[in-house]
Amino acid sequence: MKKVAYYKGCLASLSAKELDTATQALAPKVGLELIELESVTCCGAGDIHEAEPDYYLHINARILAYAAAEGVDTLMTVCNVCTLNLRQANWQLQIDAELRARVNENLVAVGVPPYERNVEVRHFLWEIAEGEGYELLQKAAHKGLKGLKVAPFYGCQILRPSKILGFEDPDRPWSLERIITACGGEPVDYPAKIKCCGFPIIQAREDVALAELIQPIEQAYEAGADCMVTPCPLCHLSLDAWQSKLKKQTGRDFKMPILHLAQLVGVAAGLADSELKFKRHVVSVKPVIEKLSV
Amino acid sequence: MQVALKIWRYDSSTGQRALKDYEFQAPDEATLLDCLDIVKDKHDGSLSYRKSCRMMICGSCGMRMDGGAVLACKTRMYDIAQAGQIPVISAMGNLPIVKDLVVDMAAFWEKMRSVEPWLQPGYDAATEQENIVSVARMAVIHKESLCINCGCCTSECNSLEADPDFTGPAALAKAMRFVGDPRDGNTVERLEGLSGEHGIWDCTRCYFCSERCPKGVDPRDAIAKLGAEAMKHGIDRDMGAKHAKWFVTSARTTGWLRETELVPKTQGIVMAIKETKFALSLAKHGKVPPPFPPHVAKNQKEARQLYKLVKEQGVSGAAGIVQGEKALGRIEFVKETEHAAKHEGAAK
Ligand code: SF4
Ligand code: SF4
Ligand code: SF4
Ligand code: SF4
Ligand code: FES
Repeated sequence: MKKVAYYKGCLASLSAKELDTATQALAPKVGLELIELESVTCCGAGDIHEAEPDYYLHINARILAYAAAEGVDTLMTVCNVCTLNLRQANWQLQIDAELRARVNENLVAVGVPPYERNVEVRHFLWEIAEGEGYELLQKAAHKGLKGLKVAPFYGCQILRPSKILGFEDPDRPWSLERIITACGGEPVDYPAKIKCCGFPIIQAREDVALAELIQPIEQAYEAGADCMVTPCPLCHLSLDAWQSKLKKQTGRDFKMPILHLAQLVGVAAGLADSELKFKRHVVSVKPVIEKLSV
Repeated sequence: MQVALKIWRYDSSTGQRALKDYEFQAPDEATLLDCLDIVKDKHDGSLSYRKSCRMMICGSCGMRMDGGAVLACKTRMYDIAQAGQIPVISAMGNLPIVKDLVVDMAAFWEKMRSVEPWLQPGYDAATEQENIVSVARMAVIHKESLCINCGCCTSECNSLEADPDFTGPAALAKAMRFVGDPRDGNTVERLEGLSGEHGIWDCTRCYFCSERCPKGVDPRDAIAKLGAEAMKHGIDRDMGAKHAKWFVTSARTTGWLRETELVPKTQGIVMAIKETKFALSLAKHGKVPPPFPPHVAKNQKEARQLYKLVKEQGVSGAAGIVQGEKALGRIEFVKETEHAAKHEGAAK
């Protein structure tokens, strides 16, 4: 078992609890022992970075410090945006000793352990896309997806900026496809899989955001996908919950089920309904389940 | 070396479009631009593309290679040719094509002009003495000053694609170059103007601009700096700004963001009531956690005190982003090959 500090982020803590339960249930099957961090806040998405950037750096340093204090080497995330925010802060602190000294002084002043030993921030996706996690995934996914056509949706902030994320080629990613295949599904290819779902501006600029959101859903639909899978709960929220708005605006009802990565693998690994919690989705996942039960 | 290319040919006067194959010999050190020169000289004189400096300075040769914008004169072909790849070359996105690889940059320049990319010191007469500006104060806009107006950043900008009136990454980065200039006297007016409908808060943070920029301008980072400066000057009418502010409040108070409050805090109560039906549909599926009792993270006092401390230290506005730029400027994407090797190894 690889011990990792587990940072849920706001979504998996509150409105996307299904992501948390599926991740927790799946973790031991793919060789991960999760140590849940409790004394942590939201990473601030891009928003605190833009509103109060110095505070952004400090709250992310605090998350990193609490992860390091667990004596692990990896801080595992389940959200694209958390991954980018934490990795960005981590690079800044690891490369710039002066900056780190100032931030650490502030952390200590309010009673947080200083961020001294380095941790690496890694998304759950990366843990199961290669190495031991991938080996175990292949075994765990014994129930298989029976040729289910799955459209991988990466979203932005797990790929770009690639120098901060650095896991795979941002224009030709392969990790989700590899996992879908390992689970016995058939990955569906479509150009918008690396584009934005519009989430960051879905409240402030709804029309612009919906014009972005429709692209991946429409393309996946036209490519014959039974469902879409995403490693990001924010992408999940807009793809799933805002589909009704697309219907209202364009008259097109895609009824496209959207699965969190841990749920998709969870289905293949035979997780219980109480762990997958599909009832918490706005667009029904039933057609997928029915297809798999025949 | 032997090079093979596919080029999307297009003629706006006839509307004809065709993907043409080219194969030829080129010196090992050839760039994509050198290769296009060979095609034009030896194979097809009708091929159109822009170039001038051939050394990443003039910004003329932006085009797409396999769907991503690059500077042709910066792109070496050796590895690609050796790997047996046949890249597809086409014109940049988000601008109309005139012919082959040449786009009409009029809209790009119009947006550039709209941010008034010149110094407005706020006085007309010459001063008695030189106005000396320290290196440290200019460092704030060092990155933004490197822009060569090539347009690569706008080619795949997702917001621009959805809203053609969006000011866009290049013009916004240019705007930051003047907002951050200590000699400029128009900061607040500039920020007011940029906080409008197609400005700062239109950016959807897809990071394509920063991924594509060949000069390290990192426009998304520049836009975040503009946002931070706007907030610092109290310019926060825009819904995007309100949205961002609420994150700070959440992190400070309960630790976690409560989505229930995000809508009224961003859009205002009236809009939020109009959205009730939508909100209820989400509530049915537990997507909207109830505000009471608020879920408060453990040791939340620390996050609150940290906020106070950080505010007192006054690293405010763009300075909070600038302090990390030196470190970020030093990292590079580690080439895929390492992962590819692992990938293949694991697949066997
Ligand atoms: S990215 Fe979002 S969900 Fe993830 S912690 Fe940060 S704000 Fe919360
Ligand atoms: S696709 Fe959407 S939610 Fe996902 S990372 Fe991009 S902006 Fe975020
Ligand atoms: S990050 Fe913003 S400005 Fe940059 S490409 Fe994306 S939407 Fe455009
Ligand atoms: S910001 Fe970069 S990509 Fe955009 S125009 Fe300037 S140099 Fe080109
Ligand atoms: S020819 Fe000048 S930048 Fe490429």
